[in-house]
Amino acid sequence: MTTTFESLAAGDTIDGPKFAVSRESIRLFCDASLDYNPLHLDDDYMKGNFGKTNFGGIIMHGMNNFGLISRMITDWAYPAGAIHRRLETRWLKPVRPGDTIQPSGIVKSKQATVSSRWVLIDVVVRNQNDEKVATGEAMVEFPQT
Amino acid sequence: MGQADAFETDFWKHANLRKVWDDIVAGEPRQTIPYTLTREAIALYCRAVGEDHPVYFDEAYAKTTRFGGLIAPPSIHILLMFACTPADDWMRSPGTVNAGQSWSYNIPARPGDVITLQARALDKFIKRERLFVVHDNVFFNQHGEVICCGRGWTIRPQ
Repeated sequence: MTTTFESLAAGDTIDGPKFAVSRESIRLFCDASLDYNPLHLDDDYMKGNFGKTNFGGIIMHGMNNFGLISRMITDWAYPAGAIHRRLETRWLKPVRPGDTIQPSGIVKSKQATVSSRWVLIDVVVRNQNDEKVATGEAMVEFPQT
Repeated sequence: MGQADAFETDFWKHANLRKVWDDIVAGEPRQTIPYTLTREAIALYCRAVGEDHPVYFDEAYAKTTRFGGLIAPPSIHILLMFACTPADDWMRSPGTVNAGQSWSYNIPARPGDVITLQARALDKFIKRERLFVVHDNVFFNQHGEVICCGRGWTIRPQ
């Protein structure tokens, strides 16, 4: 069934893609984003303390979470003729090689303004242990047609 | 990797030129460099996050959509941020930890766009002994139209 603004209700869920994290996926994200911070490359560096934090080994880019959430939102919005307008995220736990992560969303509310219509979606990324690694909120526009 | 060849991938190389938390002035604009977005760069980004929607790859299909042609995924700003940032910028300091970001999207970036970035440190503060800097960014296309804008919260290594 095609999603429409009228048919959406608070509590409706959106399932995002599962993503297997590996050293190779992290390296590919370095090349794709040009973000070669040693956090994502250098195990020796990551054994040390810095910025009051110790991760113990390389971690996935936080923005890889962001990209997966964004992919979930656009793949949900495009068939409905809707437009991804905003995404705000916070990282809660580091993601490491070997983890499998999956974003999901829950419709929180919808609202009409002077010239358009908007849906707010709570988003979360969980790892294979059902731990939350990222949370956030997205806003999707359903233009008047 | 074509674009990585023209890009300094050793983030240690210019580390001594970069501002530490004490030197960063909130409100001060950051130097940026224009970047031409290519189909290849979009395809590589899409592969890294598993984007497979045809509006990013199939020109004939994309022309039938509301976008009227190929576009990049909204989250392409993840690439644009580093592509538009010079090697001596504090955004590249090794050990910079990203604590979260928020982005608003106006119009899509498209292959062939010459993209510019207006950016600044917006705020700096200390929380639980950690040194935070908030960065504020607006990406424009060659027509002066806003593509997207966003903020990021970073924890500085020093």
